[in-house]
Amino acid sequence: MNIRSNIIIAACAAALAAAPAWAQFKPTKPVEFIVHTGPGGGADVLARFMAQVIEKENLAPVRFQVNNKSGGGGLTAMAYVAEKKGDTHAIAVFTGNWLTNPLTRTEAKFTVKDMTPVARLVLEPALVAVKADAPFKTLKDFIEASKKAPGTMKQSGGSTTSRDNVVRQLLMKDTGANWAYISFPGGGERIAALLGGHVNMMVIEPQEAGEHIKAGNMRVIAQVSDKRLAGYPNVPTIKEAGYDIPNVEQVRGIVMPSGVAPDVVAYYEDLFLRLSKTATWQKYLEEQQFQDGYMKSAELAKFFDVYTDKMRGILKEAGAKVVR
Amino acid sequence: MAQSKWMRGDVVSGAVLAALGAYIISEARGWEYSTQEGPGPGFFPMWYGVAMLVLALVLMVKSAMQPDSGKPVAWSGVARALSVWAVFAIGMGLLKVLGFLLVFALMTLFVVAVMYERPLKVAFAAAIGNAVGFYLLFGLALRLELPVGPLGF
Amino acid sequence: MEVLTSLGHGFAVAFQPLNLFWCFAGVFLGTVVGVMPGLGPAATIAMLLPLTFNMPPTSAVIMLAGIYYGAKYGGSTTAILLNVPGESASVVTCLDGYQMARNGRAGAALGIAAISSFIAGTVGVIGLMLLAPPLAKFALSFSSPEYFALMAMGLAMVVLLAGDSMIKALLAMLVGLWIASMGIDLFSDASRFTFGQTEMLDGVDFVIVAIGVFALGEVLGNMEKRGEGTMLPVPKGLRNLLPTMAELKACRFAFLNGSIIGFVIGVLPGAGSTIASFISYGVEKAVSKHPEKFGTGVPEGVAAPEGANNSETGGALVPLLTLGIPGSGTTAILLAAFILWGLRPGPLMIQDNPELFWGLVASMYVGNIMLLVLNLPLIPLFAQILKLREYILYPIIFGISVVGVFAVSASLFDCWMLAAFALLGYAMRRLDYPTAPLILGLVLGDSMERALRQSLMMSQGDLGILVSRPISATMLFLAVALLCLPLFRRANTWRLKALEENG
Repeated sequence: MNIRSNIIIAACAAALAAAPAWAQFKPTKPVEFIVHTGPGGGADVLARFMAQVIEKENLAPVRFQVNNKSGGGGLTAMAYVAEKKGDTHAIAVFTGNWLTNPLTRTEAKFTVKDMTPVARLVLEPALVAVKADAPFKTLKDFIEASKKAPGTMKQSGGSTTSRDNVVRQLLMKDTGANWAYISFPGGGERIAALLGGHVNMMVIEPQEAGEHIKAGNMRVIAQVSDKRLAGYPNVPTIKEAGYDIPNVEQVRGIVMPSGVAPDVVAYYEDLFLRLSKTATWQKYLEEQQFQDGYMKSAELAKFFDVYTDKMRGILKEAGAKVVR
Repeated sequence: MAQSKWMRGDVVSGAVLAALGAYIISEARGWEYSTQEGPGPGFFPMWYGVAMLVLALVLMVKSAMQPDSGKPVAWSGVARALSVWAVFAIGMGLLKVLGFLLVFALMTLFVVAVMYERPLKVAFAAAIGNAVGFYLLFGLALRLELPVGPLGF
Repeated sequence: MEVLTSLGHGFAVAFQPLNLFWCFAGVFLGTVVGVMPGLGPAATIAMLLPLTFNMPPTSAVIMLAGIYYGAKYGGSTTAILLNVPGESASVVTCLDGYQMARNGRAGAALGIAAISSFIAGTVGVIGLMLLAPPLAKFALSFSSPEYFALMAMGLAMVVLLAGDSMIKALLAMLVGLWIASMGIDLFSDASRFTFGQTEMLDGVDFVIVAIGVFALGEVLGNMEKRGEGTMLPVPKGLRNLLPTMAELKACRFAFLNGSIIGFVIGVLPGAGSTIASFISYGVEKAVSKHPEKFGTGVPEGVAAPEGANNSETGGALVPLLTLGIPGSGTTAILLAAFILWGLRPGPLMIQDNPELFWGLVASMYVGNIMLLVLNLPLIPLFAQILKLREYILYPIIFGISVVGVFAVSASLFDCWMLAAFALLGYAMRRLDYPTAPLILGLVLGDSMERALRQSLMMSQGDLGILVSRPISATMLFLAVALLCLPLFRRANTWRLKALEENG
């Protein structure tokens, strides 16, 4: 009782010290933390981890309860958040899919425009990798090889709207090269296809690749990132390798339902700022080789517009049916 | 009572499946059969749609050519099963309004009292027992989320 | 020798009291979630994951792995007793397990399932211990053409699952293929057969179809008659609740068959336990002296799929631990757990963390024994549910089905779909369509289409890729041979008839 009220007082004091306006709102009951994957999916693991950090570090007076609204490639969760209009005790993890999926799906009833941006948290860079015994030492080698024999080089990846394919489309357009893109539903199968020598290249997340690189089974030939990752100081980014294509960020962050007062948004915005400053969070980012992409609500709203426009253009060029 | 050839189960189900096959083919025609990268989304449905249509027609013809098996259909049994199904389906529709436990209790009540014609006392005991048992096991012990009505259970 | 020394160290780790406790907690929880339809090991592990951050990683791995293989033990219980498959792999167990229960051999069926799970689970661990690195290489040589051939072989099993009419079995399978292709197409992003519903974009969950068609279809079929007595005969006495020597003897080959097939298929990241159990059931039936009795309640029909399902666990851990490649939802979340603890499964795992690897292997031997000891005494208890009157039991099956479906997705839409599939199941029973081929098509359709399209993309449209690779060519040949089996049998009966007439 005592400890708890002390914490609340401390939290309020901290909030007051920083900006008095925030003190107007604080959650009074457990906050629903919506994710679009089932238990164990990427967004789910992230949300459960954040809920754990919030509780451990006493960042909020209430518990954050993960609620899995899987289905529809994220559209189910988006509809759920959008329909919670005005709910001050619900937040959701968004990913890049929340921005791109509504562009190609007629079934989508809502977009992120129907929600309130809260904070951007994570940027996930990627690596372009080949099998260690492949003849390609650089991205240029690979592209030249695929120019020589159009259509015979292969890349393993996810769905056609995923970043893997977007990067491929951009590179092919920039260079005039042409190679095949083979979709696999799971990350494991994509890696198995590369290591088994059934495909020649893949775009992979650093933490997925780390162990294979260390064991000498995989080689990184370029980075999909604005700046070089700490773990790969000698590998050029795609731009540095001489291919001037826009960088496609993979983002994760927090949104909440629309129709909430500014002080509510400010509360969560600050909560996740404090979260992103904790040592646990920084260690997590380092382990996963993510980049800290913290961005406030107002900036995030602008980012949504820019990103959506960029993706619309890219998808159209890639031949996808863009419906909005 | 001899059944008409056209009312036999195999003929009717064959017709339904043939229609489904035709529907699958017509949908599949709307998707690319083959793309620059390889087979398209219409490739596989087209093949199994055609297979379904052909097999269903074979089944219909084969069955219509056969002499009557003479096994009469027990329509009263079918009516019993379908009425239980109807109650179940309505119950699923009412989950949002009534919540799982109430729907489950009412469903038990219906099965015990109407379908098996047990005394009302038994039926009520069974309904309440089932609902309470499920609540204790799934709701409390296993902490599973059950569909909840506006009454809070 | 080196293996024995390492294993000795592993047992030293596994026998630490704390690790023994976590191992038991894991297998116990696994059994509980396995028994409950809908609740699966993947969701359970995800929810418990944050709690394990404070545990030593070895203990945590031992417990979470316990949930994984423990759930496989529990999955058969509702399949045998109520015809409600608790998870996709137990669908095959329903075929003969439920029939055994109807013949009054429910206890024996549960016992055989537990014993087979124990034997195969242990064989799976032995395989994991001795063969992990070379098998991982073998798994990598498998690519889309091989997967297509494997799925084709699985689909050819339809001839073994058909009842009187092959046409009806094929039609049921085609309906399964149709349901499998509902949702977003991975390759083109087109949505197929979704009827404009957001809920359909991810396709139809397997659990809904299996529970609706198997369990509820069966209950509705039974409701046609107004039975009065207890549901199924449950003989009194412990002796009648356990399998007889004759039954165990009949299962000798099934134990072996299930163990090996399950393990080998488990090693392949793109296959899974459902196809393992279907194939080992098919093999068992194909080599059996009395194939016509399958589906009427033969113990081998329970032992083979249950064994395959359990040794698959050991197999699936091979690519996970030695390559860092998960093959299923559950192993994917295990991988996420490893990474959160700062462990990196991969080629260096056994070298870098011998204590963890060998501790886990040793704990799996211990856990399998715990599961056997835990499950055998539960059999008489579970069998009691069959003593309930029909009018109480049937509503309970409806209730469990709804809870199971809702637990997966928390979606009311799925409950409506359940009602629709219940009607389909009843109609199929009424019109003599076998239901197992529908499930077969549903399970394999998606992977098969995917593997075919991947193969043709790799070969730039050349179908030759499917037959020019030795493994894939062999499996396709077997599939064709399987499909020709009924023709051969028919020819054989004609020949016999002709001989009789001549003689």
